[in-house]
Amino acid sequence: MNKPSVFLPFWFLYKKEVGRFVRVIGQTIFTPVINSFLYLLIFGVSLGRSINMDSEYSYLAFLIPGLIMMSVLNNAYQNTASSIVTSKFHGDLQDLRTVPLSPIQIVWAYAFGGLSRGLLVGVITYIVGSIFYYVQEAGFLFPHSAIYLLAFLIIGGVSFAFLGISVSFWARNFDQMSAVSAFILLPLTYLGGVFYSIDILHPFWRQLSEFNPLLYFINGVRYGLIGVSDVSAPKALLVLVISMFFLLALALRSIHRGHYTRW
Amino acid sequence: MHALEVESLTKQYEKGPLALNNLSFTLDEGEIFGLLGPNGSGKTTLISIITTLIEASSGEVKVFGSKVARSNLLTKRLLGVVPQEIVSHGFFTVNEILNFLSGYYGISNNQEHIDYLLHNMGLYPHRNKKVSQLSGGMKRRLLICKALVHKPKLLLLDEPTAGVDIELRNSLWDFVRELNRNGCTILLTTHYLEEAECLCDRVGIINHGELLRLGKTRDIIKDFTEKEFELELANEKVDMTKNPYFLRKEGVINYFRVPSNMDFGGFLSNVQIDIKDIKDFKVREGKLEDAFLRVLGDGNHE
Ligand SMILES: Nc1ncnc2c1ncn2[C@@H]1O[C@H](COP(=O)(O)OP(=O)(O)OP(=O)(O)O)[C@@H](O)[C@H]1O
Ligand SMILES: [Mg+2]
Repeated sequence: MNKPSVFLPFWFLYKKEVGRFVRVIGQTIFTPVINSFLYLLIFGVSLGRSINMDSEYSYLAFLIPGLIMMSVLNNAYQNTASSIVTSKFHGDLQDLRTVPLSPIQIVWAYAFGGLSRGLLVGVITYIVGSIFYYVQEAGFLFPHSAIYLLAFLIIGGVSFAFLGISVSFWARNFDQMSAVSAFILLPLTYLGGVFYSIDILHPFWRQLSEFNPLLYFINGVRYGLIGVSDVSAPKALLVLVISMFFLLALALRSIHRGHYTRW
Repeated sequence: MHALEVESLTKQYEKGPLALNNLSFTLDEGEIFGLLGPNGSGKTTLISIITTLIEASSGEVKVFGSKVARSNLLTKRLLGVVPQEIVSHGFFTVNEILNFLSGYYGISNNQEHIDYLLHNMGLYPHRNKKVSQLSGGMKRRLLICKALVHKPKLLLLDEPTAGVDIELRNSLWDFVRELNRNGCTILLTTHYLEEAECLCDRVGIINHGELLRLGKTRDIIKDFTEKEFELELANEKVDMTKNPYFLRKEGVINYFRVPSNMDFGGFLSNVQIDIKDIKDFKVREGKLEDAFLRVLGDGNHE
């Protein structure tokens, strides 16, 4: 027998993951884009005008990178989570146990699938945001540091895709899935500094916020795009790379020991 | 080399029954083996352990000499499995699913083989339908195609004909024979014992996770059933009711039940009947079903 390809199985699983969200593009791309659009309209344009930023940046410019990162994280998480959950529902998740794919191949294929959707929604959010920005400020939003911007977006997307894998493999029913979203992810996202700088908070809350990993993602992207951040960008990057490997280990473990049974 | 070795396999479900109790047997390369047992006897549990869907409590399984484990991709390439439970798929068509699956096995261009399978399973006209648009029987046929995309060397069929119509059932078994001729070893479970009887070289009968009998299908039938002879006599005057094998009588027709290993010649010399008195005769061989029930019945008395 000639040596089996390592790349091919991974590639087909990745193609399946992308194919899946493209099939339901209304839910997977358009809905999140409309969400971003509404945030831009409500907070960026309407309320934003009355928010006085004592800096060279408008509130809209402050908001756009946060929304981009929120889209990437959310959609990367949603993609792996809902793919695995629907597979549990249909019963075909068990196929992953019988095909010759190693946990590493499975985790990375799912993660890149989630990252692809996250980046796609992120890029569209960026474009929509730029249009708002152009209309309001008559200028363009060029990245302050493209390298940092990309690094944070990619690490964020991959990390949250890992998280989606872990949570959905462990979950035994829909309730557990939505509990994680409602009680953990949503609060952390909203409290992670998408809409405000933690500088405006009472010191107690500010210090508490520093334990929120979402703060580092959002400020990292903000630094990459407009050059301002509540935390230092290299420090944020370091924290997030470490947390990414932690989440990778978690995802691998969930593939080994998670629940494949049908719901 | 054995295609499959099951060694002292035991499975105790968490908060559940002892589903497999120290089960051991082997499958030779190239045979068709039938695993028979009533509902809940542990057949699916065994198959799930071979495919690493669940873990055994103790004991081990080897496929072509290699121990199965979640991390052993080698045995996964050699194995094909048709699960008992029908699975669905959300977003893709029959043809797409089979192509993705081929890819997972490292086969990038498999359309020719996929079409061959689709034709054989009567799914070719439905290849562009989504799985949710298929009927139950068609979904099961898709499961069979899925198990075969990578040309496995050992095929596990867990009740592949449940819910499949008669016509396809026959063509499915023909197909299984063809696969077997081409070198695929087959382990199947079914509740249609007639099908098992014509298909399987050997059968194993299990109940409560224990192997009660294992052997050549013919031998098991011989050992556990009786034959019926049906003699049509020349006239009603010949009285055979004193014969030790006599069963009942309807006019000139007399029925006898004899041990399976007794042939007609032996019977005649045994009962001392004049050949001129016999107008016609029929033999009803014992069936696997009778043997199966006997084996299970004996098991219960112990
Ligand atoms: N996940 C599980 N948890 C607990 N007990 C289980 C589980 N799956 C099966 N069992 C039990 O294990 C025993 C063996 O079940 P199994 O599914 O292997 O039977 P089977 O021989 O395949 O039956 P059938 O002919 O109905 O398909 C049964 O008593 C069943 O109730
Ligand atoms: Mg079963």
